[in-house]
Amino acid sequence: MRRPSRASTALAVIGIPFIVGSCSAEREWDEPASTPLASTADPNLSPSNLSPAVIRTPEARPLPLDEPPGRHAFYWTRAIYTGTRNGWWGGRGNGAWATDYPKGDRQFLVVLERLVRLDAFDYENAVSLADPAIRHFPLIYAVEVGHMDLTKEEIHGLRDYLNAGGFLIVDDFWGSYEWAQFEYNIRQVLPGRPIVDLSLDHPIFSAYYKIDEIKQVPARGRGIAGRPTWERDGVTPHVRGIFDDDGRLMVVINWNTDLGDAWEWAEDPWYPLEYSTYAYEIGANMIVYGMSH
Amino acid sequence: MFEFLFKYRPLVFEQGDFAFGAPASVRLWLAVAGILGVVAVATYTMAKGRSGRVDRSVMATVRVVLLGLVLFCLLQPMLILTSVVPQQNFLAILVDDSRSMQLPDADERPRSDFVQQAFTPGESELLEQLSERFTLRFFRFSDHAARIASPAELTFEGTHTDLGGALDIAREELSGVPLSGIVMVTDGADNSAEALTEALVPLQAAAVPVFTVGLGEESISPDIEVGRVELPRTVLEGSSLIVDVVVTQTGFGRRTVPVIVEDDTRILGQEEVQLGPDGEPVVARVSFEMDLAGPRRVRFRIPVQEGERVDRNNAREVQIEVRGEREKILYFEGEPRFEVKFIRRAVTDDENVQIVILQRTAENKFLRLDVDDADELQGGFPRTREELYRYRALILGSVEASFFTHDQLQMIADFVAERGGGLLMLGGRSAFAEGGWTGTPVEDVMPVVLEDSTAAPGETFAEVKVAPTPAGLIHPAVQLGDEEGDVADRWRALPAVTVVNALWDIKPGATALLTGTSDNLPRDQIVLSHQRYGRGKAIALTIQDSWLWQMHADVPVDDESHETLWRQLLRWLVDGVPEAVVAALDRETVEAGEPVRVVATVEDSSYIEVNDASVTARVTTPSGAIEQVPVEWTVERDGEYAVEYVPTEDGEYEIEVTATRGDETLGSDVTFLHTAPSDDEYFSAGRRTQTLRRIAEETGGQFYTQDDVGSLPEDISVTGAGVTLVEERDLWDMPGLFLLMLILMGGEWGYRRVRGLI
Repeated sequence: MRRPSRASTALAVIGIPFIVGSCSAEREWDEPASTPLASTADPNLSPSNLSPAVIRTPEARPLPLDEPPGRHAFYWTRAIYTGTRNGWWGGRGNGAWATDYPKGDRQFLVVLERLVRLDAFDYENAVSLADPAIRHFPLIYAVEVGHMDLTKEEIHGLRDYLNAGGFLIVDDFWGSYEWAQFEYNIRQVLPGRPIVDLSLDHPIFSAYYKIDEIKQVPARGRGIAGRPTWERDGVTPHVRGIFDDDGRLMVVINWNTDLGDAWEWAEDPWYPLEYSTYAYEIGANMIVYGMSH
Repeated sequence: MFEFLFKYRPLVFEQGDFAFGAPASVRLWLAVAGILGVVAVATYTMAKGRSGRVDRSVMATVRVVLLGLVLFCLLQPMLILTSVVPQQNFLAILVDDSRSMQLPDADERPRSDFVQQAFTPGESELLEQLSERFTLRFFRFSDHAARIASPAELTFEGTHTDLGGALDIAREELSGVPLSGIVMVTDGADNSAEALTEALVPLQAAAVPVFTVGLGEESISPDIEVGRVELPRTVLEGSSLIVDVVVTQTGFGRRTVPVIVEDDTRILGQEEVQLGPDGEPVVARVSFEMDLAGPRRVRFRIPVQEGERVDRNNAREVQIEVRGEREKILYFEGEPRFEVKFIRRAVTDDENVQIVILQRTAENKFLRLDVDDADELQGGFPRTREELYRYRALILGSVEASFFTHDQLQMIADFVAERGGGLLMLGGRSAFAEGGWTGTPVEDVMPVVLEDSTAAPGETFAEVKVAPTPAGLIHPAVQLGDEEGDVADRWRALPAVTVVNALWDIKPGATALLTGTSDNLPRDQIVLSHQRYGRGKAIALTIQDSWLWQMHADVPVDDESHETLWRQLLRWLVDGVPEAVVAALDRETVEAGEPVRVVATVEDSSYIEVNDASVTARVTTPSGAIEQVPVEWTVERDGEYAVEYVPTEDGEYEIEVTATRGDETLGSDVTFLHTAPSDDEYFSAGRRTQTLRRIAEETGGQFYTQDDVGSLPEDISVTGAGVTLVEERDLWDMPGLFLLMLILMGGEWGYRRVRGLI
């Protein structure tokens, strides 16, 4: 069986500027100091104030509300959760969940559809963990989970979602503090389930591309500046997982890495191709794996 | 009374030709009659006296009729008959020697009593009369027929009744002698698999009439009987079965009785059934699960009710092989879809179903899952029949027809038609008409009619609410609930799913099990349908996201509907798919000493019949002894091998048939034979009057009961075949004629008295 070469992924990634237009010259700031565990969430950022299941922003182009999802086989769905701060970039003002939203989502879809034969909805789709509509989307993506502060409704919603067969991809959080914040929340969702490192022989690393090394993908600023790729004490990248009783992977956790930024800024000629290529490769693997396992 | 008035029985009139024996010409006699008539009429017309016109007319009519009768007698009317020459012909007497002849009638005397009474030499008038006219040859028959010297040799212990076979044997054995007819003494309770017509046609051609003597009552009352039960020969371990059991009864109308399903060790299921009005059969639907691998004897039983006349027809046993193997199914999906994930999850715990996934993830790039080795499907979708035919079923997801070569499309159609595999097509943007399947060989296989779609892919889109059709309510594949009435409710509770293919009609011969309704569709969508195609079956499931029945927020997380549906669908898909070598028996239960025919069909890996194979049956007897029995090609049919085997012990025989060609093993199959005393004769044991009447009528004979069998000897004399002579029988001296004359004369006299004319 033939596998697409690394070069083909790189070419697909390089083609992004011609598809989505030129990038912004704005640079990302370093993150502010972390918030304490289980801090009180800003009520204005609670998904209950977001209407209805789909977020509308000036840039967002949500699902048509007059028909159910299903016209496409795949909706790249971003989990809306209650967090402790605003998101970055496009998501600013919408909570941590909205970091890089919606540009990152759209740009990921553009490349994904060029790499994988996938009937995907071309635009972003954000749904609250507490919204029953999330069960229409068996694969969801959550970012900046180091600032997660789930409500009871979200905990129950996510637990039922995962137990019913849903698949959660987590990305873009750094260091032990943010890990602790995420771990605190996910343990409320799935109490007692161990979180384990996925070794490179796990099928998720060969579902589409053969990945031989877990790379640390830096945020845009660090990638362009050539500074150390890690943030805070998150020196070593990890891909971890949580399994159900039957050994099926329910949650894949990309820690100490920022795949979302690499997807979002892949068209930036200053952002290293090495990272965006890797990010798209493991992104394609996670999608193919999550849709078949 | 008829015979008293007209001298002969109606049958004699039917067989004979009418004629007059007077020597002169008919014209002369008619002239004399005319003159006499005119004279009589004139006499009455011209007579003077008190009589009026009406009186004279009445009396003239009576007199003319009287004169006519006299004239009729003078003409010497007669019947010309062809009757058999006494002692020049043979008569075969076939007597039922099966166990049903031991059943007592209402007078508590067994049917066999009549045989002993009617055919004991020196004591029977019937036998004496027959012996005077014919040379008698006695045969006993049950499952086989054989000559016997006298009825004293009958034992009434036969385990089956084969009327047609018995007629064949008698006809063949007496084919060289003048045969007047065959007398068949039986209750008619035939339980052979052979068609009776095949035995009657040669008898018609040879002009040998059969005279049937029906014994016993037509209806045994009160009695309950478990009718024939149909089960697949093999099922996968853990399969759920829904079986219709026909319960017939007389004398127990409206009573509620349990139908118990059990194997050797335990009760598998039970269903209460209310019997219908007296004499009417009802169907009890019993569901149960076969959860233990190996050969199983499943018994369907109704407890014996108080007062039942026959208690050995209250249970039926069926042999079934529960396969513990893992059946391999190839699921080819044209693009990443969540159906793959959730179908895999649904059957992951099913040890008997293995789904091998081949999912196209990019052009010429495939994801293979659950393959047995690194080589399996390495080149993508199979390109040879050997490669594809390894699987027992094929699932096609959202993949366009143009992906395949024409040879591959034909191969998929042949996979169903020739290999006998199961094909399941799923809905999707590249499936059915939307995927360009119209006009391909696979379109013929599909149970649904592909609409002429001019819609762009994705244009047809609707959310449908799925419900079972009447056929679906009773189909095991779509049962989501444990209770029968629960099925529709369970389906109603499931959330709506979506379709992107317009499929509104099924093909002739196909069956729809599920349909979907939507405000956005002009008609109901066919959601699940199936049809037989060649040796295999094709199923269409036209929704594209059955996974919603697992994921949707309206479905409780621990709900098993999705898993149950898919497990049942896939088991149904592989059910009955043949191996390259298939062994079968003509009867699954026999008695020790009865022959059974072992038939094997042998095909190669491309499922082409093989005639030069070396085939052996390895028979393991109940006591553990092993016999090797060669099985020979029948020549009559390609790939068919057969041998007759006679078991000698009671118990379970395992028969493993293995076929080889040169050094290559083509395959093997195991079947099981149960040897035990048979109860078949106690089922449908009432007298089959219709069958016996049909045998008689189609061969030119007569049907009799015990009450009117006395006329049999004379009837055979005038209707039988063999050496015959022409016989004239006078009719002028029929008592009826003289009685009529006396009535007419008395009537005239009485009329005159009443009218005061004398």
